[in-house]
Amino acid sequence: MIRSLKEYSPIVGPAILNQLEQLALHLKGKKVVHVNSTRTGGGVAEILAWMVPFMRELGIEVSWEIIFGNESFFNVTKMFHNGLQGNPVNLLPRHTDAYEAVNIENAERLRPLLSEADFVFIHDPQPAAILKYTPSRKGRWIWRCHIDASRPHRKVWKYLRPFLENFDASIFSMSEFSQALPHPQCLITPSIDPLSEKNMDLSKRDIESACEKFGLDVNRPILCQISRFDRFKDPLGVIHAYKIVKKFAPVQLVMAGGGADDDPEGMEVLREVQEAAADDPDCHILLLPSDAHRTINALQRAADIIIQKSTREGFGLTVTEGLWKGKPVLGGNVGGIRLQVMNHHTGFLVNSPEGVAQRVRYLLQHREILNAMGDTGREFVRENFLLTRHLREYLTLMVGLQLGFGHRLDVTA
Amino acid sequence: MRNHPYNGKNKSAGSNRGNHNVTPFQIKDCALIMRTTDILPALNLREFRAGIAACPVESLYHHFCETVIRPSFDDPEFHNDFARWARRGLHDHILAERLEILDPYAFADMEELRRVVLELIDDRLSEVSLIPWTSEQGPFHFLQATTVVFDTGKSFRNPEEMRDAVAEMTTSSIYYHFWEARRRTPEHRDDLSAWLSQWNKRGEKIIKTILEIDFYFLNLKELQNRLIRAMAVPARG
Repeated sequence: MIRSLKEYSPIVGPAILNQLEQLALHLKGKKVVHVNSTRTGGGVAEILAWMVPFMRELGIEVSWEIIFGNESFFNVTKMFHNGLQGNPVNLLPRHTDAYEAVNIENAERLRPLLSEADFVFIHDPQPAAILKYTPSRKGRWIWRCHIDASRPHRKVWKYLRPFLENFDASIFSMSEFSQALPHPQCLITPSIDPLSEKNMDLSKRDIESACEKFGLDVNRPILCQISRFDRFKDPLGVIHAYKIVKKFAPVQLVMAGGGADDDPEGMEVLREVQEAAADDPDCHILLLPSDAHRTINALQRAADIIIQKSTREGFGLTVTEGLWKGKPVLGGNVGGIRLQVMNHHTGFLVNSPEGVAQRVRYLLQHREILNAMGDTGREFVRENFLLTRHLREYLTLMVGLQLGFGHRLDVTA
Repeated sequence: MRNHPYNGKNKSAGSNRGNHNVTPFQIKDCALIMRTTDILPALNLREFRAGIAACPVESLYHHFCETVIRPSFDDPEFHNDFARWARRGLHDHILAERLEILDPYAFADMEELRRVVLELIDDRLSEVSLIPWTSEQGPFHFLQATTVVFDTGKSFRNPEEMRDAVAEMTTSSIYYHFWEARRRTPEHRDDLSAWLSQWNKRGEKIIKTILEIDFYFLNLKELQNRLIRAMAVPARG
């Protein structure tokens, strides 16, 4: 569903939209191309699905191109993805040949568009080699890394780095995820869309319906963790914490996630979680389809406390979503969760199931604090992690790249 | 209150002349592009010191003054990144307290601030028997930022219009005219009180209230509310 920026005015205020319009004046008529590997599914496609029409609305000529590749190419890029996240991979010449061949084909196909563009955003490693095969470039090229590349597998990084060095800038989500490269490395944190199905306001009735559907009692406290069934999300630790709390309070636990059916390890984790929850009717383990955004929204809104007890995490957008719904978040003391969960303000950082249990008991006994944290969290997200801020930073980056980075660029003259 | 040349005293106080010629206040806004620096992340107090000694001035400015405008939580306990990391990264409460009390706007320039920070760290290194290392919080990353300044297309013409205009500003606009102005202008003064000073008596009371705001310990929303309250002071004496 394509929205207009104006629809965000009641949420962020007209001054924020004016900010975008004013910045975009300096980019009017510029040609921008985004290149990634898929138009549907995954976080990058979700971002581009709103960013491209909003940039157009602001008067920028934007196109969104995807690269075409064969199965072996996508197997290799999956290896790169894992390798950039630190998993050892066995990179062979046939892998790199497949990668480069597809990038050459796509570079040739997209050459007229890319050569003429003022700004080219290449998302993630899949299309990263296109720059090398686009010799006559007019504009600025930016590599946008959406992955936690803080500790890449050396062999993968050693192979990819030469393709990345000639970009004019790169963007990482957090300084912790960045790698040394010979060009400016900018930091742009992710965002959520407050009007998407996952984050839009829901009626009380919608929330109660979801609770009825899954057998949740709205009159008793609900704890909720939304995440894939993945060991790094510590689902067993969450159940352990819930069982400790259960001795003191009539709580219910909802652990909901999707996409495990095509992930063998995810299925195994899900089985372990189901076993751990087996005898408890108040422990709800829900395997949801990947498009169950509205259901997830309702479950988060029904919850009293959101848990994201990850032991490793990227930025942690489920935390952002929970805060946006006015809930305190108990988050693992890792990654981007640390940027969002501030002890005693928006929730608590926790390091063990016992830590989760203690904070849950405390918050359930201090409803006024629980509510105040929820209010603080929502305002914190409104100021910092909505898509308008994300868009503003892309516009700012393009203005900065046009004029050259310095301490201050005054474009008011 | 910081020592600065205006401090509520206006040379032509008592006069109302000249206000017809005052140029309207053009409201500007700004946005940051945050970037990494070439300085290696610090894992312990010694590396932290080396990083502070070598980092660009822009990095010092970012970690002391731009914390309020970047997308991060306005931590009421710590107002600069160095103090925050000393406490949360190194668990050195003493150093954190010593760094937290530093007000960057009280120094002539960022090099002077750097000298004082290094002095504090050297003192601390001489006091501790073991060099503090970071644990799960991770290393300190030295960052910097570019401020892109742009027009909002909005302005106000007199002190009476100022209050509503400030209430409608974005927090980044407040940052630009209040915090950033102190670095930008030769007088190290905020743009609002500088402009009001041209209104003589009509601006005098508001200026006095504005200058009394200890802004370094306020987030931008709080500062905006204080400014709005300051502007509720009747402009005409």
